[in-house]
Amino acid sequence: MSFFKRAKKLDIGCFINIKTIRDHTKRVAFAEAEAQRQALRYAVRNTTLPQRTRAIAQLQLSQMHCYTRPTQIRNRCIMGGKGRGVLSDFKMSRFNFRLEALAGNIPGVKKASW
Amino acid sequence: MSVPRARILDLMKAQCQLFSTTFNPDGIRTGNKILRERLKGPSVVSYYPRKMFTYRDFMTEFKNLDLFVENEEEADRLEHLAGVKARGKGAPKKKNAPPSPHDKKR
Repeated sequence: MSFFKRAKKLDIGCFINIKTIRDHTKRVAFAEAEAQRQALRYAVRNTTLPQRTRAIAQLQLSQMHCYTRPTQIRNRCIMGGKGRGVLSDFKMSRFNFRLEALAGNIPGVKKASW
Repeated sequence: MSVPRARILDLMKAQCQLFSTTFNPDGIRTGNKILRERLKGPSVVSYYPRKMFTYRDFMTEFKNLDLFVENEEEADRLEHLAGVKARGKGAPKKKNAPPSPHDKKR
């Protein structure tokens, strides 16, 4: 299954393009499947369980949809949707951060000068 | 002055009881560290800001009071579309049926 259903109604209020929507879909999918993933991960790591059970858990974990994997999630810029050079503290790409900071829209940030 | 292993194990057991930790002298991997992790889902989902209030909501709020709010951007867009259409450069009409093989290909 390569297609994962995304929310019918747009529920994010930042910059929107297909990449941010997809990333948000992945986040929701990850949150929904997290308990199951952790249970399977526990079964895989538990050496007191029979080998067969652990192997089955490993298989199930690897066969879960790729959108439920935490590594699929990438922090994107909320102002421009860019995936690279994003400052995670401000959730913004470096250039958008600069623009916003110079405009004084980010509290507590000002240009260094000494 | 070596302390026998059994005595050390007794001490470890007492320690575990006292601090309510798991007594696991052989260091067997039980995967408990996975269960100890906190769930990251809620914080991961809340990365993008939620949609709060749209212009349409704003307009409907005023509609209830019998007031009309003009959406300038929407008006501009419609005006532009009308101009484009008048010059014959508008978007083509939507087709209801799927294209048949007799349709002219471009």
